[in-house]
Amino acid sequence: MKLVIGGYAQGKLEYVFSKYKLQEPVALDGAWPEPGSLQGKQLVVNHFHQWVKSRISEGGCPEEEISGLLDAYGDCIIICDEVGNGIVPAGSAEREYRERVGRILILLAQRAEEVERVICGIGQKIK
Amino acid sequence: MMALVIGGSGSGKSSYAEELAVSLSSPAAKKYYLATMQVFGREGEQRVERHRALRRGKGFLTIEQPTEIQKAVGCMEEGERVALLECISNLTANEMFQQPEAKPGAQAAEQVIQGVGLLGKETAHLVVVSNNVFEDGICYDPATMEYIRAMGRINRALAQAADYVVEVVAGIPVVLKQGLNWKGQA
Repeated sequence: MKLVIGGYAQGKLEYVFSKYKLQEPVALDGAWPEPGSLQGKQLVVNHFHQWVKSRISEGGCPEEEISGLLDAYGDCIIICDEVGNGIVPAGSAEREYRERVGRILILLAQRAEEVERVICGIGQKIK
Repeated sequence: MMALVIGGSGSGKSSYAEELAVSLSSPAAKKYYLATMQVFGREGEQRVERHRALRRGKGFLTIEQPTEIQKAVGCMEEGERVALLECISNLTANEMFQQPEAKPGAQAAEQVIQGVGLLGKETAHLVVVSNNVFEDGICYDPATMEYIRAMGRINRALAQAADYVVEVVAGIPVVLKQGLNWKGQA
């Protein structure tokens, strides 16, 4: 798995497409594929933070679920916004969301073979 | 030796800073954890408990010092001292907003910078944790914007004084500055 992170609107998806010259990728928006639907194509999960947000609001446990998803889709590319670099929000739900996205990114970064951070469309390899 | 560790919420900065402080400590050193957070409610207690669990067994003595951080020196024994200060964002908020001694941002920033400077002189190694509060693009009320500017001023001053500056991103240390005298981990 490869992890690509960065701020909003930094060109992360475009960076992934151009760097990896993906042939017929399946790019999903904040979601994971239906079982059996990939048919050997390269999976890109874009806006991963939105998946975390929706699992939290649905009462799921993304920290646990992610482990099984990575077992199933070990070759995927995950793209996620960095959401923790701001004033700690006054609302507890928003605070919890940012904190949990951050901690899940630590888990992903540990499992990733490569971590890149994209700023101004330029990728910096940090692992 | 002084190290500045910055990162956002959930970035893994605390855990990295603790490892760094431990790695800088000789067996004879006394390790101090300077806690700045004032605990309100259950979420605050849980946060403190999570941080305590991280430090458990690592031999840190905790000093609660929500303002005037240099006063923590008065609670330290003589000899080799290693201090982990967590964190600048709480300390600055306390200096700016805590009654009856609330201060304007510029004054609070000077107080924090000087306090950390004194701590640095009184310790063999000082690891300071700060927060990246600068990149959410939200235009807050004037008091919060003043706080963000004070944080920016403090981070810049501490980074200038530090021998080692690192940003923790998704648990990965990204080194921003490594001075010639730095003898800790890279």
